[in-house]
Amino acid sequence: MGETILKLENITKIYPNGTVANKNINIELEKGEIHSIVGENGAGKSTLMKIIFAIEQQTSGKIYYKGQEVHFQGSMDAIENGIGMVHQHFMLIPSFTVAQNIVLGSEPRKAAFIDMKEAVRRTQELAHKYHFDIDVTEKVENLTVGAKQKVEILKTLYRNAEVIILDEPTAVLTPQETEALFAQLKTFKEIGHTIVFISHKLGEVKQISDRVTVIRNGETKGTYAAADVTIDKLTELIIGSKLESSYDGLKKPVENPQLILDVRGLSYSESGVSKVKNMNFSIRGGEILGIAGVQGNGQEQLIRAITGMIHFQDGSVKLAGQPIERLNILKKREAGMSYIPEDRMVDGCAAQASIQDNLISTYYRSRDYSGAVFLKAKAIQAKSAQLVERFSVKTRSPKEKVSSLSGGNIQKVVVAREWNTQPKLMIAEQPTRGIDVGSANYIHHQLIDMRNNGAAILLVSADLNEVMMLSDRLIVMYEGEIAAYFDSLHGVTESQLGLYMLGVEHQSEAEIKGACYDA
Amino acid sequence: MDNIFASFFTASFIALVIRVGTPLLFASMSAYSADIAGIPNIAVEGIMIFGALFGVYFSAISGSAWVGLLGVIGVGVLCALLIAFFTMKMRANPIMVGIALNLFAADFSIWLLLVWTGSKGTTASLPSKVLPTLEIPGIKDIPVLGTILSGHYFLTYVCILLAILLAILVYKTPFGLRMKACGLDAYAAQSVGIKVNRVRLIAIIMSGILAALGGAFLSMGYLSIFSNNMTASRGWIGIAANAVGQGNLLVVVLTTVVFAIAQGVVSQLALTALPSELINTIPYICVLLGLIFLSVKEYRKAKAR
Repeated sequence: MGETILKLENITKIYPNGTVANKNINIELEKGEIHSIVGENGAGKSTLMKIIFAIEQQTSGKIYYKGQEVHFQGSMDAIENGIGMVHQHFMLIPSFTVAQNIVLGSEPRKAAFIDMKEAVRRTQELAHKYHFDIDVTEKVENLTVGAKQKVEILKTLYRNAEVIILDEPTAVLTPQETEALFAQLKTFKEIGHTIVFISHKLGEVKQISDRVTVIRNGETKGTYAAADVTIDKLTELIIGSKLESSYDGLKKPVENPQLILDVRGLSYSESGVSKVKNMNFSIRGGEILGIAGVQGNGQEQLIRAITGMIHFQDGSVKLAGQPIERLNILKKREAGMSYIPEDRMVDGCAAQASIQDNLISTYYRSRDYSGAVFLKAKAIQAKSAQLVERFSVKTRSPKEKVSSLSGGNIQKVVVAREWNTQPKLMIAEQPTRGIDVGSANYIHHQLIDMRNNGAAILLVSADLNEVMMLSDRLIVMYEGEIAAYFDSLHGVTESQLGLYMLGVEHQSEAEIKGACYDA
Repeated sequence: MDNIFASFFTASFIALVIRVGTPLLFASMSAYSADIAGIPNIAVEGIMIFGALFGVYFSAISGSAWVGLLGVIGVGVLCALLIAFFTMKMRANPIMVGIALNLFAADFSIWLLLVWTGSKGTTASLPSKVLPTLEIPGIKDIPVLGTILSGHYFLTYVCILLAILLAILVYKTPFGLRMKACGLDAYAAQSVGIKVNRVRLIAIIMSGILAALGGAFLSMGYLSIFSNNMTASRGWIGIAANAVGQGNLLVVVLTTVVFAIAQGVVSQLALTALPSELINTIPYICVLLGLIFLSVKEYRKAKAR
């Protein structure tokens, strides 16, 4: 293949607190390739990228760029040498125009002044050259997420980047935007740019990359030609063990299951728009009911209605025979409901509070943890230590802030807390979104474990694979209604579900009726 | 009563507004230049007090108003460096640093006054100098225009000139764009290689000098002495004007003009029989209205989202 443009030799990074983020990492990037770097959250990918981009300095090891050893003093050095980075969280100023954002830091000048005309001309020309359809005089705040990402990429190109690092670029994109991005990346590759692509989505990685490097626990686990390696093999390398392709073997039948959740005629409308239309379904203990559907078809409102985060207009919700629609959230939880929210940072945890505080936040009122006046510190510490251990949350201490954890570990904290109350009903909303395969697999195991112990689980996920692997029964939602119901997943295919999800097909009322158990 | 209202529409009233507006504009520009770079400076009031006091002191011991003015600039820079040290180096909360500096200035200035003059009231016993007033040849003899534009204090002209320079700096130069970037998203600014701390240091120094000049205007022109509490919350009014402007310098200046007109009205009405306590509240009511206007606007914007 081509010549080596960037070479990392025995890169080791040890943080002052003793954390070893990278151990003897060796990677060679070839000119004009798309090179993916995959690994679990916290495996050391981000640290490595920060070292390349000179935001952090390596403890030992050498970096060669275009054949010469380099010591970049800061990201400015890296930028000047032709390395560009598109951060996962956009580094854009919303109230500035596209052109202003692109030239910021290296503005074209006329005497002592900014030459804004020249800035617009140059950025527009750059956008044309790379076939980015974007109006550079538009303010960034008015752009879509996909367009904002284009601006980020243009920023690196404006600075003549030859190596472009993209940190989880597709996490925020729609499938169409992702396709457009991939087409773009391929043209960059053809004109000799080198792309470093970081992602959790192994399907995408295999589709777009020439080569893939796997990092686990701060060490490289080899570089592979993307064409020669299967997704299963990559998964195995990433988590260090094989994943089961089906959970059927783990599921155990539960004896004498009780009716736990019974939803009848639930309807909800928002500013006159009907979001959930007359939903009927029930779940027994020891089973997982999955809800599949394209996002925005009422799943979110349904969950918010059941959990009590919004008030619905019509219908009833019973938990183990007790009507709960009039109870406040605390009472609902006391009645045996548990909830893993879709957005872990907003609804799932208090990011600035400690892991320990988050772990007890839904049941600190219990006599076990709370005396007449004071909290029982020892009991709380013992419980949180136990949960951290049980759910293998990777942290130095339960007293650390939740925000210091990686996404997968934050989600483990949320799941641990909800698990601990031994709920009758667990509502899991996108429980593994945006986290690595290892953590996702772990959380799946916990859900199945709860199911085997008699809990009823309501699972909502946009990840079709996830609902199909976990669910015992399945509902497909389309435009706020049940479009299809399956009492078993055996023989059901993704494409079959797809037709119901897109509203092409709709089951008869008699078929859908099966979603309810007769009381 | 009629002639009071008539007096609001005279050239001399406009000249009065320019005069009382000068320290307000210094204050709002001071608040503005620090704020857009991301370090809110709420110590404007305190720095103004120091500017006013040290201007008098340095001009008295040197016998020159110009040396006094240099001293004022030095004091402004020193206060700015203090803020920069605590906020940027020691990572203290800028609001806390501002409060500390304000309290320090209010009381330390009285102590210095006592040491230098033996009195806690004014510097009347010090032989301090004032900066000149400028008659503009050619314009001063034009009837109405002459009254409005000519014969102001030296620092009034400096203030207007600095406002124009600040506008050019912020809106036309790379440094201005970078200042705004640092204020809006320091990480984004850093990611394109902007040295955020350096930009902020320069901005805070500008802010310090502007505030100190505002103080000097009061004690080396408007009056020829420093007296206890002579800034009378002008720094805070400047901070309010900056808040209403929300990063738009033109709006900041226009808001300052409205506040200045309110101050001018107070000076005029002081000559009438109306109770002075009531009249003195007018500028503050104006500020309050400005802030209410701002929060209503913000609320609507948040609701629209």
